[in-house]
Amino acid sequence: MIAFAAGAAGAAGTSLAVNVTGSDGKPLAGAVVLLHGPPGSKPPPPATLIIDQVGQIFAPKLSVIPVGSSVTFPNSDKVSHQVYSFSPAKRFQLPLYRGTPYAPTVFDRAGIVTLGCNIHDDMIAYVVVTDADWSGRTAPDGSWNASGLPDGDFRVEIWHPRMREATVMIERTLKLEAPHSGTLNVQLTHSLRPEKLGRKPRSWSDY
Amino acid sequence: MRSAVALILLLLCTLARAEGQLDLSVDLRLIAADGRTSFLDGGLGKLRFDEDHDGLQIGRLRAAWNQPIGELLNLRIDASLWRFSDYNAIDLTEAYLEFRPYPSGGWRSRVRIGAFYAPISLEHRASGWTNPYLISSSAINTWVGEELRTIGAEYSLEWLGTRSGHDFDVGLVAAAYGYNDPAGVLVASRGWALHDRQTTLFGKVGESGDGFVPGRVLFEEIDNRYGYYLGAHLRYLDRVELRYMRYDNRADPERFDASINDFAWLTCFDSIGLRVETAGGWTFISQWLDGETSIEPETGYEEWKFSSTFVLLSKALGRHRISARADWFNVDHVRTAGTFLFQESGDAWTIGYSYERDRHWTLGIEMLQVESDVTGRTFIGEPTRADERQLQLKLAYSL
Repeated sequence: MIAFAAGAAGAAGTSLAVNVTGSDGKPLAGAVVLLHGPPGSKPPPPATLIIDQVGQIFAPKLSVIPVGSSVTFPNSDKVSHQVYSFSPAKRFQLPLYRGTPYAPTVFDRAGIVTLGCNIHDDMIAYVVVTDADWSGRTAPDGSWNASGLPDGDFRVEIWHPRMREATVMIERTLKLEAPHSGTLNVQLTHSLRPEKLGRKPRSWSDY
Repeated sequence: MRSAVALILLLLCTLARAEGQLDLSVDLRLIAADGRTSFLDGGLGKLRFDEDHDGLQIGRLRAAWNQPIGELLNLRIDASLWRFSDYNAIDLTEAYLEFRPYPSGGWRSRVRIGAFYAPISLEHRASGWTNPYLISSSAINTWVGEELRTIGAEYSLEWLGTRSGHDFDVGLVAAAYGYNDPAGVLVASRGWALHDRQTTLFGKVGESGDGFVPGRVLFEEIDNRYGYYLGAHLRYLDRVELRYMRYDNRADPERFDASINDFAWLTCFDSIGLRVETAGGWTFISQWLDGETSIEPETGYEEWKFSSTFVLLSKALGRHRISARADWFNVDHVRTAGTFLFQESGDAWTIGYSYERDRHWTLGIEMLQVESDVTGRTFIGEPTRADERQLQLKLAYSL
């Protein structure tokens, strides 16, 4: 996870607290929060990131990166993997490999990219590619905070991989004006998908 | 000749360089059983190990090779030994080439060509078509392992909804195959059974028997007509899987093959399976199979209807697992030109415990009790009703 909490406006300015709760009213940890500022806000520069494959699991399972970032996908397992995505934001595939034989993949469009392995169906990971000016994920208490924000109109997008709302992302707009700090409470309307079951023993395969 | 040898050497060198995967495993059993003479030895006992096969026995010796060929092809060869005295002691259970292109726009295709299992069993989830819940398979899946093998080509198409923000995956499968004309002979002439032995591609069932169940060859083309199956599945996240299949081997029941002393059995069935898994480690599996098989010798038309159901409940506790299953099965000889009707009905109860110590060692114990009433037993001078019990201790090592 990469958080770009430090905005262009520096330490001065106003702040925003986003609190996300599930449909049951309990805090939702790990939700992705994307904050788009008023004109003049500067999104963070592209980053470089590593998404490893260890024990037939992508690590990390969820990443938030600015548009234009590049990701390396090493395979630390003894078995070969075949990484792919058919998500509209980034379609790509890395032919059967072990180690790190490929150059980093550049994610040049905003959107949610679902990664899979064409051999091991269990493997799944998400890359949220965003042009947001600030972004991060909610803490165990369901909160995410940004400070040093300029005055103006903001747009907030919220997403969680297990969310099943009517739209892909929950969207809210709000106006912030110093010296007042803003608070945004968002409650999901539908229950989350259940968590994935634990990984099956290695000897299991699909028949 | 020289060029052929050179070609084979070149192929072997290529294979050795490429990243193939070899699986070797040894599975030994300690058996206590009081069953009737097993169908493997010419009897009408339902179990693999009868009272003459107590003590230390081979469960399975297995060698399998998985070989990617290029980017999108994979070759899988599975060889096993179940008993030294078998017709072909070491033989193949599966051998096929799989084509697996990358999913595109949420759709994924798969093509398999060779000899492999149709996607019927919801129990057999471990490599080598092994049942990780109990040592012995349900009556339905025992039959699948005994009489069915797709020797042909299969195409499957799946919509990967769970990879694009939905709760469901949906898939269709279709296959055309040959060499499965004798399928049906065992369930009609012997009835259902419960065990883990899979018929090998060039092997027989009832290998050393010359009694009621003589050595049966299952994978033979008799009438030069292809068979088919069509199936569908629906998966809810990784929690629930529902499968349906219609199978029809389209055999010509008038055709007889003297070389294997058997008819082409016209066998059709419908199969439905449901598997539910919970976050608490519980697994529930139920399958239902209902079909008919017929032959038409010169003496007249013979038809049997067969059906079976099972429910399995399993609970995993870390590396430990306890499972229980109930099976119900029956065979009705609905039409005959003769006077004797082969009928059977029965049920089976199985409980088991397994412990996967690590990726090498597995320990299992299973108690299986099967009660069956088989009219055919009068032919071999046995009471039609049999209560058979089998206690197995399994120790397996995988390399």
